[in-house]
Amino acid sequence: MTTRDFIIKWLAYTLALLPVWFADSFLLTALPLFGVMPMLLPLCAIAVATLEGATAGAGFGLAVGVLYDAVTLEGTPGGATFLMALLGLGAGLLAQYALRQDLIGCLICSALALGSIDLMRILRRLLTNTAPLGPMLEVAGKEILWSLCFVPLVYLLFRWVFRRVPKATVL
Amino acid sequence: MKDFLKQNGILILVIALLLALITTVLSFTFGGIANPFANLAGVISTPFRNGIHAFVSWTEELYSDAFEREAMAEELEALRQENAQLKEQAREGDAASRENERLRNLLGLKEKRRELQFESATVTARGSSNWSSTLTVNKGSSADVAAGDCVVDEYGNLVGVVRQVGLNWSSVITVVDVDLEMGGLISRTDKAAILEGDFSLMGQGKLKLTYLPEGVQLLAGDAVLTSGLISGDGAVYPSRLLVGYVEEVRTDDSGMSDYAVLTPATALDGLEQVFIIKDFNVVD
Repeated sequence: MTTRDFIIKWLAYTLALLPVWFADSFLLTALPLFGVMPMLLPLCAIAVATLEGATAGAGFGLAVGVLYDAVTLEGTPGGATFLMALLGLGAGLLAQYALRQDLIGCLICSALALGSIDLMRILRRLLTNTAPLGPMLEVAGKEILWSLCFVPLVYLLFRWVFRRVPKATVL
Repeated sequence: MKDFLKQNGILILVIALLLALITTVLSFTFGGIANPFANLAGVISTPFRNGIHAFVSWTEELYSDAFEREAMAEELEALRQENAQLKEQAREGDAASRENERLRNLLGLKEKRRELQFESATVTARGSSNWSSTLTVNKGSSADVAAGDCVVDEYGNLVGVVRQVGLNWSSVITVVDVDLEMGGLISRTDKAAILEGDFSLMGQGKLKLTYLPEGVQLLAGDAVLTSGLISGDGAVYPSRLLVGYVEEVRTDDSGMSDYAVLTPATALDGLEQVFIIKDFNVVD
């Protein structure tokens, strides 16, 4: 793959990330279901990890994490950058070696990733004693379920990009 | 897989870890000012946020025109009646004010004077996380907005506190956010307590008043104001901004103390324009 191909490929993935980010930040905030809003940004990292594999997943996860850290006030600054890269790597490995690189694999990896993110949030709030466990589990459960509903859409969007960009990844 | 991890995966994780550390250090170094990554993202997205906000407002107006005309007529009638009652109360209030002035003069008390410097801002986005309650407004450090500034609505009701400032945007944690903590004052009794966000109540758009003074009798509808005391994070907020009204008093899980559930005075869901208090001076 030439450098030009490489740049075009990741530019395409970044462009695909933008509508998801805007939907997540501006549109779906007005449509909470059972009082919760979905979390779409991590799904992008997982979708790319499922399609492209672990290395690309970690790289794209890193980019998504930087964006997530930049646009939210939540948690430790910089925490999402590392966590998303880790989740991208883990999802890529799982999809490559244990599951399949398809929608079902993406769905399972997404469920695990969303669960991990909410687990971190719950642990942080438990450690700082700022929220009781019960209500947090309730919010996390609803949030994960509502977010999983968007996995097919996000996966199809990134698969559409995946089929139109060069396949071999050189980092 | 081992080779792969050695060659690529670990390298990316190390880069991610370094970036995370840089972000963390920058965030703590800059205090309430957004770090360069956050600032860049905010500056780039501000025109899009403004555009989306304008589009959403337009569609809401269309919806309102189409479906809510009858409801608005009823609301107008109710407001007319309320206006008549308020005028009557204002006349009574004038008499009370004159009496109050006489009493103040009698006691030699100085008239309370408060100077607030406002910066008008538009709400361009609402937080998309279920774990916090935030707003983004279109004014930042270029308009001398600083972290810790209080944000109020057009009636002077407290909306929240500026947490992070970018060049032309700021993030505001609202009064119901879990991280909010400040001194409160029960208006009817002039007793102090602590206002704080609560995770369970945040989803319902409410907050709580804790450390209630011993023996205080709270009534539903009691107004709670900011006390102006220094908060836990060392910030000083203007006093006597209306935060909310007591809805009910509950006992905490330990059964040892009570807290009051407050409904914010401001309508957080419908906010479009807010005012940032950039400077204030309280003289009692």
